[in-house]
Formats: sequence, C-alpha cells, structure tokens
Amino acid sequence: MQRYIAQRLLQLAPVLLSVSILVFLMIHLVPGDPVQVMLQDYGSSEQAATLRHALGLDRPLVVQYGSFVWRVLHADLGRSIRTGRPVASEIGLRLPYTLRLTAASMAVAIALGLALGTVAAMRHRGLLDYAAMVAALAGISLPSFWFGLVLILIFSYHLRWFPPAGADSAASLILPAITLGASAASIIARLSRSSLLEVLRHEFIRTARAKGLGELRILYRHGLRNALIPVLSIVGLQFAGLLGGAVIIESVFGWPGLGRLAVDAIFNRDIPTIQGIVLVAAAIFVAVNLCVDLLYALVDPRIRFQ
Amino acid sequence: MTHARLVCLLLTTVLTVTAAVPGIGAQVRGGTLNLVIESDPPSLDPHKTPSADLTHQLIYGTLVTVDRNTGEFIPSLADSWSLGENGRVITFKLHPGVKFQDGAPLTSQAVQATIERLVNPATAAPGASWIGPIERVETPDELTARLVFKQPYAPIFSSLRIAFLAMLSPAAMAKLGKDYGQNPVGTGPFKFRQWIPGDRIVLDRNPDYAWPPGFYKNRGAPYVDGAVVRIIPDESTRVIAFERGDLDVLPATPAREASRLMRSGKYQVFRTPIDGGLYLGLNVTKPILSDVRVRQALGWAVNRDEVVNYALEKLAVPMDSPLAPTIWGYAQGLKNAYHYDPERARRLLAEAGWKPGSDGILQKDGRPFTFTVWTYPLETNVRVAIVLQTQLKKVGIRMNIEQIETATLLARTPKGEHDAILIRYGWPDADILYYFFHSSRMASTNRVHFSNPEVDRLLDEGRVTVDPEKRRQTYRQLQEILLQQAPWIPLASPYTITLAHPWVHDLYVDKYGNLLTNDLYIRK
Repeated sequence: MQRYIAQRLLQLAPVLLSVSILVFLMIHLVPGDPVQVMLQDYGSSEQAATLRHALGLDRPLVVQYGSFVWRVLHADLGRSIRTGRPVASEIGLRLPYTLRLTAASMAVAIALGLALGTVAAMRHRGLLDYAAMVAALAGISLPSFWFGLVLILIFSYHLRWFPPAGADSAASLILPAITLGASAASIIARLSRSSLLEVLRHEFIRTARAKGLGELRILYRHGLRNALIPVLSIVGLQFAGLLGGAVIIESVFGWPGLGRLAVDAIFNRDIPTIQGIVLVAAAIFVAVNLCVDLLYALVDPRIRFQ
Repeated sequence: MTHARLVCLLLTTVLTVTAAVPGIGAQVRGGTLNLVIESDPPSLDPHKTPSADLTHQLIYGTLVTVDRNTGEFIPSLADSWSLGENGRVITFKLHPGVKFQDGAPLTSQAVQATIERLVNPATAAPGASWIGPIERVETPDELTARLVFKQPYAPIFSSLRIAFLAMLSPAAMAKLGKDYGQNPVGTGPFKFRQWIPGDRIVLDRNPDYAWPPGFYKNRGAPYVDGAVVRIIPDESTRVIAFERGDLDVLPATPAREASRLMRSGKYQVFRTPIDGGLYLGLNVTKPILSDVRVRQALGWAVNRDEVVNYALEKLAVPMDSPLAPTIWGYAQGLKNAYHYDPERARRLLAEAGWKPGSDGILQKDGRPFTFTVWTYPLETNVRVAIVLQTQLKKVGIRMNIEQIETATLLARTPKGEHDAILIRYGWPDADILYYFFHSSRMASTNRVHFSNPEVDRLLDEGRVTVDPEKRRQTYRQLQEILLQQAPWIPLASPYTITLAHPWVHDLYVDKYGNLLTNDLYIRK
C-alpha cells in the first residue's frame, strides 16, 4: 500500500513537468504580449523594451522555461507580471476560496446525485424515475452561467435569502455551490441509477431478499456499496471538471477564487501566474485521483492492495 | 411698528427662509458607500497600473482637477500655477497643510519624488509617457514645485488630473517599495483599510481630509464613514446587486440594462458622454481600402443615427470627427464631416472602379468587395458591427465580423494583419490623435497604418503649442485632413450611465463619468 502511494507520487513529477511545458508553449503560441497589455501600448517602444527586459521576456524561450523550472524546484513560482506580487501568495489567497467552493459543490453533487439515482433505481420505470432523470438531463444541459443567474434572480433578488455575489458569509457559498454541483449531480445520478439497477439484478440481492432482509438494508448494505465503485471513479473526474467549471461560476457570483485569477492572468498574458495556477491545479487533480483509487479499496475489499 | 414686533417679524422671516432652503444642515454623517468595479485593479499603486479606476480616485489626490460644472482645469492639491519659458516650465504653488494618510506633509520634495519614481525606467510605470518630455522637477521651497520640460508639452494638464499622476508619500515609497500597491498611501478623502483580491476593497474616511477641490460645499472629510468597492465581474450580477440595494451606486451601467433601469424611474440617473467613442478604423495599406475614394464612400454609407438608435439604444451621440465632442480640441461644423448619403457612396465607389456584380456585391477585376472587421467580443461593439454590416450591404459591400480578444488584437494589428477594426477609445485631450495617426506610431497604436507628412507635422505642432487658440486651430486643420483622408470612420460616442439609489444624496458625476463624493451623504 505504502509502496503504491510512493509510486503514484513519483509519477506526479513527469505529469507536472509535461503539463508545465505544454502550457508554457501554448501561451507563447497564442498571439499577445504581457508588456503590450500592460502599457495598452501607449508607451514608447524604449519603455516597452525596458519593461520586457526587466521581466526577462526578451530571453530565448528555452532560457525562460529553464529559469521557471529552476525557480519551481526552489519553491518559488515567480512574480505576477500583472500585479507584481509573488505568484505563490496570489494563489495562496485564492486557492482556499476555490477549494471551499469545489468541496461544497462536490458535497451537493454527491448528496443530490446519489439521492436522485437511488430513488430512480428503486422506482424503476415509475413516475419518480422519469422525474429524476428529467431533472438530471436538465442539470447537464442547462448552461451553468444561465442556471446561476436564474438562481440569483429567484433566491437573491426575489426571495432575498442569499447575497448575489461576494464571499463574506456562509450564505454566499450556497448558490454557487448548487450551480456548480448541478451538472456533476446529474452525471452521478444517472450513473448511480444504472449501476444500482445492475447490482440489484444480481443473485446475492435475491439471496438477501430470500433471507428476509428489509429493502432499505438490502439497498444500503448490498446494493449501494457495490454500485458505488463506478460512481467513485467518476467523482474523481468530476472534481477536476468542477475546478474547471469554477472559472465561469466564480465570475457570475463574484467569487474570489482561482478560476477568476486564471481568467485575468490569461487575458493579460501573465505567464508566471498562468504557469503557477496550472501546476497547482494539476497537482490537485493527481492527488484527488490518488485518493479516489485508495477509496476503492475501502469500499470494495476485493480491490485491496497486497 | 414697535420694537418687539419688528424683532418678531424678522425672526419669523429668518425661520421661514431657513426652512425653505432644503439641504442646509440636513447632511447625515455616517453610513458606508457601497460601490462596484468589474475586475481587480492590478495594483493600487498608480505607477503600477495601466488604468486608473474608481478606487484610485478615492485614495489619491492630484495637483490639478477639472471643475465639475465647467470642465475647466482648476486647482486641487496645487493652489495655483504659472507657465514660464513659453510653457516649458510650470511652477506649482502647493496647498499648505495637505497631509498624506501616513501623516507626512505634501511638500515639493514629495512632488519631485513622485514624478522621479514615475519616469524611472526601473519603475516600469505603464502611465509614464503621460507626463511627456519632462526633464526635471525643481524644489525652490517647501511649497513650490517646478516642472521643467525638454520642450513645451501642451496636454500636460489633462495628464495631471488623472490618478496616474497622483501624489505619493515619499516616506511610504521608501518603506514599501514594490508593495506600495498593497498598502496605498495618498492624500485623498478615503484611506485604505483592506483588499480581499477578487472580492472587495475596503476604505475608511480620512478624518484629516480638508482640501477638497473648490466646487465642493463640504470643506472637510467625507460624510460617510467609509466606502466598500465590491468586485463583481458579471454584468447581470452587478445589476441585481444594485437593484437589491447591496450597492448604493452603479457606475458604468451595462448598456443592455441601462434603458430598463432608467425607465423604471426608481433611481437617480447621471448621463455623461465619454471622452471618446467608437470608430471604424481602415487599414490603408490593404489594397481594397487604399483608395481614398473607397474610404470616403464608407464614410457616406454609414448612417450614424441608426447606429445610435438601434445598436446603442439611443445612449450615445453620433460622432462627426475623430474627436468626440467632449474632448478638448474638438471642432464643430467641419466641412469634411460625413452624413448619410448612400448615393454619394455609390458614386465614389463607381469612380474607384467598383461595378455591381451579379449577387449585388460590388466587383472589380473579378474580385468582390469583401473585407473583415475585427472587434472585441463586447456586446455593444458587436451590435454596432451588425448595424454597419447591413448598411454597407446596401451599397454593395460585404463586411465580415470577427471577434478577437484584446491581447490578440493588440498584438496582431501593429503587424497590419487586419482589414479594419471597430473599437473604442477615450482620452480627454486632442493629443490622443498623435497615438492613432502619427507615422512614428506605426508599430503600435497607429493601427490603420496611416502616414501623411502634413498630419505628422500638425500632430507634432499640437503637442508643443501652448497658446490654446492656436492649438485649437491646429487640431481643427488636423480633423479636416483626417476626415478627408478617412482612415477612420467616426461612429458614435456612447454615454456612461451612472445610477444611484434615492437614499444617496448630493452625488455628482463629472463630465468624465468620475464619481464626486465629498458632498455625498446617505439618508435612508
């Protein structure tokens, strides 16, 4: 087990390296220059040259990339071109907000998704099943920015239950978490429904019924536990999707997370910040998937590691 | 009349008059002013930001400002100024008793230190060029600062009033260095307290503030206890937050919501034309647009009233010169100005050799008249582009629209990859034309790749001419040539709409759309 974890963590290094090279090349392939954006090009060409030199942007790409890797190895993500602040502290300020939002929407997605999926499977081909699946379809197909605005309109403007924007109270987390969690909830609902239907057809369920176990107990002890395996793996992937989806949701709800920092950084061609965010996001993604793999073992004793 | 009765009568008169004048003594102290901006400023250090926004205006002060009624330059931190050596030297007398928020006094040394920091290449200040060809700052005494230029620089006062050139505390500069923007210190009515990036900037009332510009009734610190500048990127969310009352004032109301909110009659409306506008810039090096008759034809083919009425919801004024009417130097009644005349457009195009093709699109040497306009993905811009597309179709021109993100557009237009651009600009002084049309700016802001020796000469002259009347003449001549040469088709100058709730009293919005808050009080 420990060896497995160590192996997985070692795999992290090449993943991060290749991600950082890819992003570095991509941002340089896109037209646009941070100095030009900064000066809105009203500055003189000498001024632009001085600034470009001060930021090290006039050096060959290989050198720029090399010094980036060198700094990262020394736990330094550099300074943001746009704000002049250390990238690490910029990310440090924003990351907790994004993690809080992602965790909350993950909770919404799992709770709502499992509930809908279970109800649908229990009432297979019944009215509740159809209703749940229509809700799930809506959750996947509605654009999240639109869904978010509708929620703001109803719960913030008309009912005045929650603030429309900001991050100053627990109440301000609820609407963005629901908006962000909705599509993941839909996927989890559909998957857990079909997975549960599959499991409920198995012999051991019939045996359990024959032994006279109650339906709820069958569902919980034998059904859900077995149906959760495929659901779990999708949860890991959804988490990454949530990190990405946060970009739009954070803008709609004025949520001060990493997604907004990334958008600002990309529009301003703020290379150090983009690199930093990508590294952090990739690391989180890998870590989450590792956790998911470990959870498998907990849920299903058949997948215990030797 | 007895003595007592006279006293009685006088007293009644005084009481009646006092009661009839509303507002006097009615101001309420306290409360928080809730404002909003759409994105985090890169820094609260004016030397580290490419655009000075609302927050900078609340924290900082400038030597010069503009009168809220007349738009003239008036004293702010400087009490007076005088020009010497044909405008090459400007001597400022500073207002005595002005203190920075860290307690340091505003002296001529502070002015010197601020400007030296601004122009120091190591600072890499995006706004450095706005100070012009400055040579040095002299400090004959504590309260006299002398700006010496290499040559006269006429647009200097327009620059001096913006927050790029706000005064900074020398002590704080020394202490904070690069981190000035995280703990900004200015002379303005509000002091910095806290900045939660992406969420809000919190400011406190500066209790020592006693040097507002002359047009304010309130000569002391602001009536409100503080201000919170929320950061909400999404237009719809901003509007809902305002309608809900979370925001007291909604600056720069999104165009598509403005009409509805104004019609509701629930809010105070401030409508200020921006000091600039939207234009269609034509890359004169592209063969299809290099013939001046073709460019003029485009000028006649555009119906500006339609652009204003349909694309901009009537919240704009048509523009008949590259300069918007609000910009210093704008000339009225230019003889080369365009109006809607599609017949004349067709005639000019025919003269240039374009003949109607089978599909209604003009042709020349077997080639259809098609060009592509680049614009930012902003709703207003795109709507204007669509209206233009329809109008040009009527004279046989096919215009395609391509939406291009800012940094890409900034990078690709200097290389001349585009046919045309539809973008917006803003600046209070006619000198802005230098950036757009001087041949030396070809590699950057001269996006139409226009080069004309006479225009270059006049642009250079406009910079160094200090006599306002002579300078106005220079720019009138320039505007005539630019209209005749038609590298730009001026379209419209949109209004900035600022809304405020009825409980916000005595808010003013100046002609640049800036919020003037020192008389403001909140009474719910």
